[in-house]
Amino acid sequence: MALFQLHIPILDDIKKKGLKPALLAAVDDSIVRFTAGLGINDIRGVLRGDPAPKPNPRVKPHADGFWFHMRPTYYNNLVQPLYPTFRLGWLSVYFMVFETITGVILMLFYTPSPLVAFENMLNIMSNVPLGLFMRDLHKIGAEGMVGVVCLHMLRTFITGNYKKPRQFTWFTGVILLLVTVALSFSGYLLPWDQLSLWAVTIGASMAEATPTPPPLDILGQQWFGDPQFIGTMVNNLLRGGQQFNANGLLRWYLGHVLLVPLVGFIFIGVHYYKVVLHGHSLPPESEKAGEDTAKRVPLDQRTYFMPDILTDELFLVALTTFVLVFGVTFGGYHAPLEPHADPLITPLHTTAPWYFLWLQGMLKLGDKVLWGVVAPGIIVGALVGLPYVEVGPSRRYADRRIGLSVGMIVVIAISVLTFMGTPWYAVSSSVDQEIVATLLPQTHPGPLRGTHYDQLTSGQYNAKDWGSAPTAGLKKLLKIYNDEVEHGKAKLPGVEGIMIIEDWQTGLKKITFRVVWNGGANTFSQDAYLHQDSNYGE
Amino acid sequence: MTIRVVIGTVLIAATMMIVTFVMINEPARMPEFEAGFKGRSIEAGAALFQSSCTPCHGIQGKGIEGVGPSLNAADLFSGKRLKEFGWAGTVKDYVRSAIAGGRPRASAAFANYPQRMPTWGQEFGGPFRNDQVENVVDFVMNWEKEALAAAAAATPTPNPNAVGTDINVQLPQGDAANGEKLFTGKGPNGAYACSACHSLEPNKTVVGPSFAGLAGNAAKRKEGTSAEKYFVESIIKPNDFLVPGFNANLMQQNFGQLMDKKELADIIAYLMTLK
Ligand code: HEC
Ligand code: HEC
Ligand code: HEM
Repeated sequence: MALFQLHIPILDDIKKKGLKPALLAAVDDSIVRFTAGLGINDIRGVLRGDPAPKPNPRVKPHADGFWFHMRPTYYNNLVQPLYPTFRLGWLSVYFMVFETITGVILMLFYTPSPLVAFENMLNIMSNVPLGLFMRDLHKIGAEGMVGVVCLHMLRTFITGNYKKPRQFTWFTGVILLLVTVALSFSGYLLPWDQLSLWAVTIGASMAEATPTPPPLDILGQQWFGDPQFIGTMVNNLLRGGQQFNANGLLRWYLGHVLLVPLVGFIFIGVHYYKVVLHGHSLPPESEKAGEDTAKRVPLDQRTYFMPDILTDELFLVALTTFVLVFGVTFGGYHAPLEPHADPLITPLHTTAPWYFLWLQGMLKLGDKVLWGVVAPGIIVGALVGLPYVEVGPSRRYADRRIGLSVGMIVVIAISVLTFMGTPWYAVSSSVDQEIVATLLPQTHPGPLRGTHYDQLTSGQYNAKDWGSAPTAGLKKLLKIYNDEVEHGKAKLPGVEGIMIIEDWQTGLKKITFRVVWNGGANTFSQDAYLHQDSNYGE
Repeated sequence: MTIRVVIGTVLIAATMMIVTFVMINEPARMPEFEAGFKGRSIEAGAALFQSSCTPCHGIQGKGIEGVGPSLNAADLFSGKRLKEFGWAGTVKDYVRSAIAGGRPRASAAFANYPQRMPTWGQEFGGPFRNDQVENVVDFVMNWEKEALAAAAAATPTPNPNAVGTDINVQLPQGDAANGEKLFTGKGPNGAYACSACHSLEPNKTVVGPSFAGLAGNAAKRKEGTSAEKYFVESIIKPNDFLVPGFNANLMQQNFGQLMDKKELADIIAYLMTLK
């Protein structure tokens, strides 16, 4: 008897069947193990769309495999088409994974410190092959994800899926909505440029408004002597101090790459589990009011996950990836990068990211505490509470006229508030500044920086003589200037727009905009420098 | 079903093709992007210089005697100052260290200047963040070409037969063919490279105005002055009359010290052919 016996079964097989068949069998065997039940031929059959053999091997991965046990073995034929799910839940999962992959790549080249974060971004964009591409993908993915998750919520609301027994699914959904928004927003700060700093500052200043209850005697002191104690605390937690600083950035970074994704993945697991547990709800009109037959799928009503749903989902993955990749290349979508963050210079017209414009709009309505803290709190509370309050048994559209109308009113209100959040609505700054800001905006490149360097012929120009400017680019620019000046005539008597272009240094020009009114008694002027290489996308 | 698999496969292939395309273009795109951000850095530096440095170092960094030395100066970029200072590193490092750390103690050359160069870098207690120091450094370093070129132009061998700056000078008969050579020629042999600043294409401003149709305009520029007379004045005393839209000193000022009468006459004869 040997002390131990070394036995390699494949050698026996090769002896018995010959090299090639034995190796093939071994590969097939590993694939069966890997997929928890499907061999090469079974996978081919799935992709070809062959009818399932009997017994059906395609149900095994759902029973034995980890990934597929999260997915139902079959759908009801009624939920297989695009309606009612629009596959928006799957797309949300897709974006989450997509963001994780692109995000991890960016993470390799990023240090969360105000000293180097911005430089890291430049490095990613100029020294890392495909770095700019990854950054653009990550950003377009983040915006896409917010959109898709909101649409998914809207559709589950419209088809009434928050109702019994899916209240908890809806609740985990609300958590996922908050996670999605938190992910997008926390990522906003990381490039540490003017755009990110000030957009996030708008958010953080709302948190600062968190009210502190009337003085309580805590530890023998009344709120430690600070009547704004809670607001100050929240502010310090979020920003790391009075202003955003190194601690603040580190916190947002860790939240962005660790805490929030962790919560997200956990809750996606719970959410998915609940979806499988309760089954996909049928379209409301196809079952009796108050009934839930999602789990009872008659044999002749089944669409098996494999192959139909699987190929459908993989198709969506291919399509969405293509759209995103196309978007950041030929589509011309690029993540912006403004100058380095500067806590001392507030750019004119900073806005929150688009999905928070409605909040910025609400803030313009008045009180910071009411509109910035209480109202958002009520909205989240209403979302969480919805399935427990709105308990009408029917999911049919006809029976939910009031609920659906309220939903639509909310959507419209959010749209209106979003508009109110933009600088077009009720932003008071002086006309002279606005005239110049049109040409030389502080939050994006704008017309002047978009003009080709060679078009900026040195000289002094008056906007009203735009027609006789020496170059086409200058004509266009002065025309915009003149239009703005014409608009300003009502408020600024006799206003004129002057533009001066000087050669300043090798490849550098100085451009001065001077707005003069009241016969020269008042002026406002602002200058900018433009380098021939700076390429703002002219 | 099958159609989805087919389209999906095509989409994946198309995606891979776009990614490959992006990849192939990266080596060309990356340096361009870097130059772009260098340009923006210079822009930011120019603004900072304007507000913080011009009070001592003068407009365009030309220096103010007794207050701040010229930074737009050849001896800075040629390495002469570094040597005197005992600096072993590069000019850029020298400039960065002077800006970030300041010069709390006067160096020998500026000992009689009452003010000291302040500290600007935050890490040494100044007001500028690192990136701002870097912006100003980029801006100052961008004078290199200009300063060295100006120094080269400022030290020509004086011409004993130069016309000088008397605009009533009597000129010999000019030769337009030789004038054209002097006008366009590059480099030595008495060529003045006027074409470096003046284009013959209509409406094209390089540094000076375009010369398309010049001879016709010249007679009308100054009332009572013939085209020839106007040309003499424009070339040897360019600041006496400025073409509208142009600033003084843009045109080279020392042609009067460089050319002799014959050359000036030749150039003017050539300019008269630009109808
Ligand atoms: C209060 C006047 C003052 C201001 C303001 C000032 N400087 Fe200076 N700077 C000086 C003086 C004086 C020196 C000469 C110091 C010495 O060597 O003793 C100097 C020297 C320098 C030098 C080194 C020059 C050399 O050849 O050694 C650089 C570079 C420089 N300054 C850049 C700047 C920049 C950039 C700014 C604006 C951010 C600035 N300075 C603002 C007064 C000033
Ligand atoms: C460094 C650039 C530069 C160079 C080199 C230069 N010029 Fe000029 N020139 C200008 C500028 C700028 C103006 C307009 C401002 C002025 O009138 O001084 C001008 C104006 C003129 C005018 C008047 C044109 C008009 O439309 O009225 C004449 C003539 C002229 N230059 C001739 C010459 C000649 C001849 C030479 C070569 C010997 C020359 N320039 C070299 C920059 C230059
Ligand atoms: C990261 C975010 C989210 C992910 C990944 C996700 C994923 C999914 C998936 C895959 C489904 C299966 C059905 C479908 O595709 O529609 C689903 C269903 C559902 N989701 Fe989400 N979801 C997210 C956010 C939300 C939000 C914000 C809500 C609402 C507040 C929500 C509420 C629901 C409900 C109620 C269902 C059940 C629908 C039914 O039974 O047909 N989910 N979710």
